[in-house]
Amino acid sequence: MQCAEQYRVQAYFDGEVDALSAIDIERHAERCPDCRTLLEDLARTRAHLRRELPFETAPAPLRARIGRALDAEIGAPRVATRALPAPRTRPFWLGALGSLGAALAAGAAVLLLMPVRPDPVLDEIVTAHVRSLMPEHLTDVVSTDRHTVKPWFAGHADVSPVVADFAPEGYRLVGGRADYFERQRAAAVVYQHGAHVINVFAWVAGRDALPEAATRSGYHLAFWRVGNLEYCAVSDAGWDELRRLERLLRDLGAREQMP
Amino acid sequence: MTMDDKRERFEAQVMPHLDAAYRFARWLSRSPADADDVVQEAFLRAFRGFDRLRGSDVKAWLLTIVRNCHASAHRQQQRRAAVALPGEDDEPAGSALPAPGPDPESASIGADEQRTLERLIAALPDEHREVLLLREMEEMSYREIAAVTGLPIGTVMSRLARARAGLRGRWLEETEGEPRAVR
Repeated sequence: MQCAEQYRVQAYFDGEVDALSAIDIERHAERCPDCRTLLEDLARTRAHLRRELPFETAPAPLRARIGRALDAEIGAPRVATRALPAPRTRPFWLGALGSLGAALAAGAAVLLLMPVRPDPVLDEIVTAHVRSLMPEHLTDVVSTDRHTVKPWFAGHADVSPVVADFAPEGYRLVGGRADYFERQRAAAVVYQHGAHVINVFAWVAGRDALPEAATRSGYHLAFWRVGNLEYCAVSDAGWDELRRLERLLRDLGAREQMP
Repeated sequence: MTMDDKRERFEAQVMPHLDAAYRFARWLSRSPADADDVVQEAFLRAFRGFDRLRGSDVKAWLLTIVRNCHASAHRQQQRRAAVALPGEDDEPAGSALPAPGPDPESASIGADEQRTLERLIAALPDEHREVLLLREMEEMSYREIAAVTGLPIGTVMSRLARARAGLRGRWLEETEGEPRAVR
């Protein structure tokens, strides 16, 4: 592959370019047979890897071992912490700033005690996602059939979100669950993508602006709105994987909105 | 913050990434037992350093620690090997997974393909293999991969390109005669 654009094409494939560059690269690939082949090869290699390689999970004994090690760590905090860097000698001017720093720190402590988080719903969603990953918490209704999952929400949640199995696109419908947040019974539709669980939460919109896309504790959160419902997809899958599911659900939602 | 609070926050924020840490360690290490040790040490270090964690990307932070633990364990092993077995060469680079021998008994076509692929990935240079797996299996962004490996993003991109081309080339070589075996 000799084309000078190969890195940009790869970045496009990996979802690392903005929309304008993406259009530019798509146009280029239309004209450049090398880059078209490259895109096909990248997609084939990815599909092949994700299909063939086992998504191993940590063995239970290891999990238990780590738990015991952490217990021991809490029980007997080490005095000499080799892992901690030695305290640095402070430059002289820090001493002069010390008292001011203490005053600022006290102020900051007060601020930290006050609810200054811009949007608590982000934390609620991440907590709900993490809780769903605990054994036996993932789904209330297990089904890969949207005709089973969707009616289930009628009796268990305050909303009726779009539900579909996107297995051919790589997003397998696993089931549904009801969660409580934003002061209502929100619906959670669970998808599996490779080794990743994606929760798609839906609730009745009650705010002027959607939260911005965000990353919390290593989980990505993407928000969108269809009709009077707000959606949030959350997962440790990559951004482009999350966005692809968002696009699928948006398109489906738009189609369902049509009379 | 009390120790119990810390433990609870650690459980909520870091433990969900145990599987990713384990998978990464499995590819880095020579044996499952080594991987277990690396992951346990990484979680201990992560717990001790948890108070100093800034920013939100816990997964990249954890995998960075896993990588560092692997590197120091590997250095120690090499030192021991150098003392105990002078003259005996280290295994060639890129033998992370034991190359599985042919097993005609259970070789269904699917299992065969998986083993071939695992062997080809194991044969990639270490520095290519890790960016490839972080991207394709852990679905990390270039920025996250750069954080884990300590490389500039440009280097991540060029290594990723070479890893993908290398794997694809070897795959086609292996399966020569089977046109477009990779659907």
